[in-house]
Amino acid sequence: MSSSKQALAHPAPGSGAAPGDKPGAARGAGGRGTPAPGPSSWRSRLYRWDMKAAPYAFISPFFIIFGAFGLIPLLYTGWYSLHNVQLSSLDHKSWAGLDNYRNLLSSDFFWNALKNTFTIGLISTVPQLLMAIGIAHLLNYRLRGSTVWRVVMLTPYATSVAAATLVFTLLYSWDGGMVNWLLGFVGVDPVNWRESTWGSQFAVSSIVIWRWTGYNALIYLAAMQAIPGDLYESAAIDGANRWQQFRHVTIPQLRPTILFTVVISTIGATQLFGEPLLFGGVSGSKGGSEHQYQTLGLYMYDQGWIIGNLGKASAIAWSMFLILLIVAAINLLFTRRLRKSQ
Amino acid sequence: MRTSTRRSHRLMALAAVAALTTGVLAGCSSDSDGTSSNASDSGKGKTTLTVGTFGVFGYKQAGLYDAYMKLHPNITIKEDVTTRTDVYWPKVLTRLQAGAGTDDIQAIEVGNITEAVQTQADKFVDLGKDVDKSQWLPWKNAQATTKDGKQIGLGTDTGPMAICYRKDLFKKAGLPTDRTQLANLWKGDWAKYADVGKDYMKKAPKGTKFVDSASSVYNAAIGGESQRYYDKDGNVIWDKSTGVKAAWNAAMTVATSNMSAKLKQFDPTWDQGFANASFATVACPAWMMGYIQEKAGDSGKGNWDVAAAPTAANWGGSFLGVPTASKHQAEAVALAKWLTAPEQQEKVFAKQASFPSTPAAYPNLKPAAATTAYFSNAPITQIFSDSAKTIPVQTFGIKDQPIGTAITDVGILQVEQKGKTPAQGWSAATKEIKDVLGQ
Amino acid sequence: MTTSELTAPQDAVPVREVRAPRRRVMGAGKQMHAGPLTYVVLVVFALVSLAPLVWTAIAASRNNQRLAETPPPLWFGANLFKNLQTAWDQAGMGTAMFNSTIVAGSITIGTVLFSTLAGFAFAKLKFRFSSTLLLLTIGTMMIPPQLAVVPLYLWMADLHWSNHLQTVILPTLVSAFGTFFMRQYLVQALPTELIEAARVDGASSLRVVWHVVFPAARPAMAVLGLLTFVMAWNDFLWPIIALNQQNPTVQVALNSLGTGYIPDQSVIMAGALLGTLPLLIAFLLFGKQIVGGIMQGAVKG
Repeated sequence: MSSSKQALAHPAPGSGAAPGDKPGAARGAGGRGTPAPGPSSWRSRLYRWDMKAAPYAFISPFFIIFGAFGLIPLLYTGWYSLHNVQLSSLDHKSWAGLDNYRNLLSSDFFWNALKNTFTIGLISTVPQLLMAIGIAHLLNYRLRGSTVWRVVMLTPYATSVAAATLVFTLLYSWDGGMVNWLLGFVGVDPVNWRESTWGSQFAVSSIVIWRWTGYNALIYLAAMQAIPGDLYESAAIDGANRWQQFRHVTIPQLRPTILFTVVISTIGATQLFGEPLLFGGVSGSKGGSEHQYQTLGLYMYDQGWIIGNLGKASAIAWSMFLILLIVAAINLLFTRRLRKSQ
Repeated sequence: MRTSTRRSHRLMALAAVAALTTGVLAGCSSDSDGTSSNASDSGKGKTTLTVGTFGVFGYKQAGLYDAYMKLHPNITIKEDVTTRTDVYWPKVLTRLQAGAGTDDIQAIEVGNITEAVQTQADKFVDLGKDVDKSQWLPWKNAQATTKDGKQIGLGTDTGPMAICYRKDLFKKAGLPTDRTQLANLWKGDWAKYADVGKDYMKKAPKGTKFVDSASSVYNAAIGGESQRYYDKDGNVIWDKSTGVKAAWNAAMTVATSNMSAKLKQFDPTWDQGFANASFATVACPAWMMGYIQEKAGDSGKGNWDVAAAPTAANWGGSFLGVPTASKHQAEAVALAKWLTAPEQQEKVFAKQASFPSTPAAYPNLKPAAATTAYFSNAPITQIFSDSAKTIPVQTFGIKDQPIGTAITDVGILQVEQKGKTPAQGWSAATKEIKDVLGQ
Repeated sequence: MTTSELTAPQDAVPVREVRAPRRRVMGAGKQMHAGPLTYVVLVVFALVSLAPLVWTAIAASRNNQRLAETPPPLWFGANLFKNLQTAWDQAGMGTAMFNSTIVAGSITIGTVLFSTLAGFAFAKLKFRFSSTLLLLTIGTMMIPPQLAVVPLYLWMADLHWSNHLQTVILPTLVSAFGTFFMRQYLVQALPTELIEAARVDGASSLRVVWHVVFPAARPAMAVLGLLTFVMAWNDFLWPIIALNQQNPTVQVALNSLGTGYIPDQSVIMAGALLGTLPLLIAFLLFGKQIVGGIMQGAVKG
């Protein structure tokens, strides 16, 4: 198989600009995806079979394993959502049709949780992603001790939840908390961070931002590593300053990854429950006495795990799925319209 | 560069294969010690019993497991702890219903015992036949017994209630400091206790309040009421319940009269409240004494005292059950009986002040010397056993726990921290409870 | 998220196709040296990021009583090693660390490997239903998994796997997140010409993966590996349901700390610290791998 090794060597000789053209030339000769004429028809048949089957072989591990251990439980959850079923009596469920969903639509708690999920999602995700891209950009410079900086950025994600809980409860405590103490210097009255609506949503968002900014920064950093250096070089020759390079080289090149983080963060924000739960402390699943920071994920956790209404909780889980589908559909329509108008 | 990259690729591949195989192998090979029930017997006729708990029992610390293993050389005991109670019980429910993976003995907290009795009774061995029921307090047995008389759990500890208070603060506020005198002041009614609070606040030492939270008063008061959230037939009657009404009113007096430090129990800030002496009293079940001692620290030594609570009430306590899925039922039942016997409950009390549910133990209870000294040499065992013996039989229901949370952490909290009126708090709690019950 | 953006990115940035191969000459995407301001910003971020972990160590070096006092301790006490020792013994950390290494290691290798393969297929190969299958993959993430642990346990019990390590390995051995991540990365980072050049010379798909895809994917694989390892190591809801203290992972074992009516916070914090240390080691190992320009070596060899 020395031939293929050579082919692979083409694009990366040690010097010269010429090799850049070669793959293109090769494509011209061979055509997209057409195999080179093999020495035997057996080989070419094998080759053709490989071309056809490989994609499926590559994606099959995911679908097989997920199908066996991920999909079945999720479908079960969907089945539960159509029943009256308690966590303590899984075998005694009675058919409820869409009752659980109908009840949600008429429940103030559900709409309140949806609203909170949206606002907390907004004030946590947007700054988080903006900061992450900035940090990634800085990490992408030639830095002394670059590995150490990367490691440090990911420590919030690795820090134990128990430890983070203690720290943030102490920071945001009403009486004698560090944040209120600092606010006192600028003459602001102590804020009851847990019980005020905006205060609690801000505090929860700050924990989310603290925990996930470095995480997203690393994702961006990986994508930045793949941006060709000569793009920056030619931009510099054109007189672009650092900001312009960032704006006109880095950002466009990151588009697929930005899309990825936006999708993931949207899903993550919809399902958010860990941070508000830890912020709330004892009986944190209520999200405050007026549910002022109860997200959909937290409402689901409270209903299914604490109260034991598995059917209703499952309906919340699946309505999150439906909500995300609606968001995606709106997004699609919006971009289509935008494209057409352009 | 090039060789190192290639080598690292090959290494990666090797590592991948190796790790995947060891992963699966390790998973399989742990057959012998992985599952608790069939597990066990490492060939020499030894039986391993696992005790599933949420961590508060102190059996290991009191040396009970070691003592039992010495008495029964063929038994090995392992405790299977899940300290997060919001995970422990769902986990047990899931495992009971899967019929696999339960421990040989499973601890059940009082907040879950009714759910266990009403929905999981067929998954537990009937322990009533094997024991002398009269050893336990009657109300304790009643909590773990089904309608047709099957007892699925043996009582471990209980939480008889007293009032722990700071003598030094009371003195500064011009109140009596003698425990009998105080007990008489508020005897019979939590509303009277709140009245003492009003007196305290008239001359309260700077930076202190009378009580930690309104919710703790509610919990203490409801713990002594026979009528709570359900009637005997299992109907929800919380909004008509006389017990709820009384406890709610007492809590409202506290919440609306500036005598509460407005803390949330078991939050880190509550711990700080003990350390800073920012409240003068707390309704304390026996098991909380050690907590106070630890959190309030040296500065509180000799300043804390204990008085009888307005009403005899219970807060907390647990049971040990033996799931039918256990492969060693006989051995497990024997161990559960032994662990809950009066002599063993005495030892746990000496270790961590978990109050026994077996009256036979009461005459012999010896609290740790340090605890007695810390609480001004109060007759701790006398106060708590008086309370334990007079607690009424209470009627419990499946959703007691979430209903209680709805009242304290929604209704009362709104009044206490957000300045809502009691009527607003009540209607918020009502709405919440309807949501809990799926109405 | 739009379908068109997800499915037709190859043609999105035509400029790149011409230029891409030259990057091998230029080396990594690193551009300029960092100025002093960069370091200032990074230091601020680092302090905020590290503070809770450092405070964990401080708390672990104190005793339970001191942690209740105000102000909370801000500097180290004398009990660190005593508490670490207690936590290690109480939680049976030896077995737990071993198990967690196997679990998190297997999940990381499986996720990185399978995600790269599937991500490559979705990014660069043409096959029927590819966009539908990709959307399906993303769709699987949209249903929160917390409730699924109940039916999952029932299913594992049917397989007689209760309390065995494979119950926590298999469900997370593949990842929709990772597949989507790799797909988005490779769409941009892997020049289609490279694959075609290899094809022209009759390279099999596996060979393409080994010699073209893996080298190009290296920074992303490292990041995915890092994130997956932490996720698997810190995952606790399902492991606590699925395992017991006889065969625990680190997070399960840590849940046995702080027993008794007075949980000792300093020992709990010491346990949390113990549980985090292996992650920091993993960070250093993976962190070095997040480097572009690796293809230079790989392609030559």
